[in-house]
Amino acid sequence: MDFSIRAANVEDCKDIARMITELAEYEKVTDQVKITQRDLEQDGFSKNPFFHGIIAEVPEQHKSKEGDGKNTDSNRNKTTVASDKKWLYLCFLGKGIGKALMSKVAQVIGSGRGCHQLNFTVLDWNKSSVDFYLHQGCTDVTTDMGYHYMSCKGEAMEHLAQP
Amino acid sequence: MEYKLRKAEPRDVSDILRLVKELAKYEEMENQVTLTEKDLLEDGFGDTPFYHCIIAEIQGESSSDDLKVVGFAMYYFTYDPWVGKQLYLEDFYVTEEYRGLGIGSDILRHLSDLAMKTRCNGMMFVVAENNESSIQFYKRRGAEDLSQEEGWRLYRFGKDSLVKMASPSEE
Repeated sequence: MDFSIRAANVEDCKDIARMITELAEYEKVTDQVKITQRDLEQDGFSKNPFFHGIIAEVPEQHKSKEGDGKNTDSNRNKTTVASDKKWLYLCFLGKGIGKALMSKVAQVIGSGRGCHQLNFTVLDWNKSSVDFYLHQGCTDVTTDMGYHYMSCKGEAMEHLAQP
Repeated sequence: MEYKLRKAEPRDVSDILRLVKELAKYEEMENQVTLTEKDLLEDGFGDTPFYHCIIAEIQGESSSDDLKVVGFAMYYFTYDPWVGKQLYLEDFYVTEEYRGLGIGSDILRHLSDLAMKTRCNGMMFVVAENNESSIQFYKRRGAEDLSQEEGWRLYRFGKDSLVKMASPSEE
């Protein structure tokens, strides 16, 4: 299947927001998604972006293969899959798109930016993702080094900020 | 003992590296620190800083003594696709003889205030599970252990794996 990988631009934010919601459904945490298309536009495409995105696109003729009914935007002339959490429509799995996205990320941050490591988190029950990443050569830092991922937010953070 | 918190400046890179190594030694991984003062200078004080730092400084006992850097926090801004901006606390350390003065709590309060002002949804950080005193320090202040409570595991691609992934596939 033909597909292309490219940097995300501000016009992609609608699709990125949609994919984030769909991935959150898969991870069973839809109630935790607060981000909007507007947030993504402001935070990712202003003078000092807080994130970067990489997009995988398939051409128009593959649109009808989406069969699972999730594609409802008839004005779209391309089908996009966003890389920041690597969500792929079921019918596009197994075509090498995930691997191509990871390869692009590795190029951009490795030879592009001189980074030495790529750190990320995965839910422990998400076996297909864990297997995919392990197959690409990553290590489980939580198991190997006992590192726990912690967070302070909401009321706890507000309380901490008090004099 | 009086101390002061301030933003790090280029002249602080030597002290920052010293404290990074002290913390790595406490974590028994000192030999893994390959960073240099030059890296810290370029990466933190160039056109696009990759990190920010708060410094804790103490005045010596007499006014003729130099100011001494005794603690620091290194942080940067990251992004969560569900909620947006986050403050990521990377390194956070106070030299042993100056603990118990409230410097650590004050640094954390300063960072929380900064996170709120920059409209971050939360602060994220990583702690080794055998570092009981740090875990308790954070939990007393309302932090959650997402690895334990929600099953999030930290994964990593090292340099070799990144190079391999970036190469065109031979399959």
